[in-house]
Amino acid sequence: MTSLATRKNMSKLGNLLMNLPILIIILAPLIYTLLISVMPPSEIYQNRLIPSSVNFGNYVKAFTNPAYSFLTFIRNSFIVSTAVMIGQMITCSLAAFAFAFLDFRGKKLLFILVLATMMVPGEATIIANYLTISRWGWLDTFRALIVPYLTSAMGIFLLRQNYLTFARELHEAAKIDGCSNPRFMASVVVPLSRPALGALGAYVFLNTWNQYMWPLLVTNSSSYRTVQIGISMLYDIDAESLGLMMAGVVIVIVPSLSIFIFMQKQLINGLMAGAVKG
Amino acid sequence: MTLTDGLKSRNPKPRLPGRRGFYPAIEPYLFLLPAFVVFGLFLFYPFVRTIYLSTYLTDKLGNAKVFWSLRNYTDLFASSSFWASVLVTFQFVAIVAFGGLLIGLITSLLTAKKYPGVTFASAAYAMPVAIASAAASMAFRMILHPTNGLLNILFGTQINWTGDPGWALFSVSMLTIWLASGINFIFISAGLRGVPDELYESAAIDGANYWQKLWRITLPSISPTLFFQIIINIISAFQSFSQIRLLTQGGPGDATNVIVYAIYRDAFFNFRFGTAAARSIILFVIVLVITLIQFSFEKRSVHY
Repeated sequence: MTSLATRKNMSKLGNLLMNLPILIIILAPLIYTLLISVMPPSEIYQNRLIPSSVNFGNYVKAFTNPAYSFLTFIRNSFIVSTAVMIGQMITCSLAAFAFAFLDFRGKKLLFILVLATMMVPGEATIIANYLTISRWGWLDTFRALIVPYLTSAMGIFLLRQNYLTFARELHEAAKIDGCSNPRFMASVVVPLSRPALGALGAYVFLNTWNQYMWPLLVTNSSSYRTVQIGISMLYDIDAESLGLMMAGVVIVIVPSLSIFIFMQKQLINGLMAGAVKG
Repeated sequence: MTLTDGLKSRNPKPRLPGRRGFYPAIEPYLFLLPAFVVFGLFLFYPFVRTIYLSTYLTDKLGNAKVFWSLRNYTDLFASSSFWASVLVTFQFVAIVAFGGLLIGLITSLLTAKKYPGVTFASAAYAMPVAIASAAASMAFRMILHPTNGLLNILFGTQINWTGDPGWALFSVSMLTIWLASGINFIFISAGLRGVPDELYESAAIDGANYWQKLWRITLPSISPTLFFQIIINIISAFQSFSQIRLLTQGGPGDATNVIVYAIYRDAFFNFRFGTAAARSIILFVIVLVITLIQFSFEKRSVHY
């Protein structure tokens, strides 16, 4: 009896131990970044891996030294990511509502058009979009960072799939009671689809926060730069302050990781919805 | 559920729009309007515009100046640097697609059973999905630092990981595999959960060991997931930009000049928007072909 229990415990321990090598490889970049960011500068050049003392100087510098304007980058990224998130929630739920509940001419064609947009990689249209934005005089504005991303095929598809699970009778009954479509959407569909909206929101916020190429093209002044551009420019400002660079990485990763940890379920639902729910 | 479910009329007896008055007839289009305005301005229009630009010589501001027919394309096809870029892209994509799949498969198999600590391990394996490629690239700049970086300290080497033509592609590929490992873990884990327990039970009765079960049951059962995932890996690897821009700038020489980086170089360093547009269309065609291959393999259940 005891030997069986011990053997079971041993195999449980064995399972965990087998994870160790790959767990270390996956976590090493983050742990190492954290360690370098709190290491006294001289120790980085002595090739130490574990700091002798914990030193938050780099973080203080990142937040207080105006040359790095980190608070501005964070504020900008929050503005842009929040606006894109709310915008997509609105445009995608409206379009998804039409595709799921309404009948109209050209429905199938328009829906296929939406799906077809998923086949065009954003990088293939980025040059033409840059030229549009610059022709409109939108370079270095929040509009340039927000407006092009105010809808997505993935969002429309995710919400439509969700709406299709609602009972059809709901809409019929509401219509008979004289409930208009906008009211039906606001008072029935949106509350019922809150989990799907949460998944879309978490996914879109994170993706926008993590964007790099588009903000790099359309922003030049630090007053509109987002976090990812901000940290990548630290190297150009001062290649010697490796510790500061790593503190910057930690600062911009914290919001991403928080979304991941606290909204893991929604985020994974969002990720999978675009791809496997069909 | 198939792709077009729910597209058919959901009313038992659809009424004709004409009998409902003007507003009800246009209402569906009003619901679609905001999304389609954005699609129109930032997806359909730029797509057509890119095709148009690819047939022109442009000035430094990207205005089409001289009709150039297909010469942007023929010039590209005649240049050795274009083919070098294509070759590097395919190498990069192949390493990343299979590397990401392998890590995803190993980590999913390691966390398939329940034991203390498995929740933490699963969260850690999924975690890279949340990390921005730009932030990760900056972290890897330190890891790969030629004199004070983690890799050289651990191996006792002095390799210039991103500046040595022999290592640069390998280095950006390792970073990209790390970034891709999270999504691979999430999808393959979901695939593993879908394998019916009865298959394992009957195999256990027949006395099959772990490896036999892996080869005969697990891998064949999740092969559609693996195929789907490798397509996702290929498409997203083709779109990599941040790590190239932040670690190697396409170099040394053209050693890591993947297609997307070449587009960026053409447009924003050489101001050759016509060539950049032609490269964009080539990228689109490659991604389209891969997507169509996936569709033709998955007629039964379409994933998008």
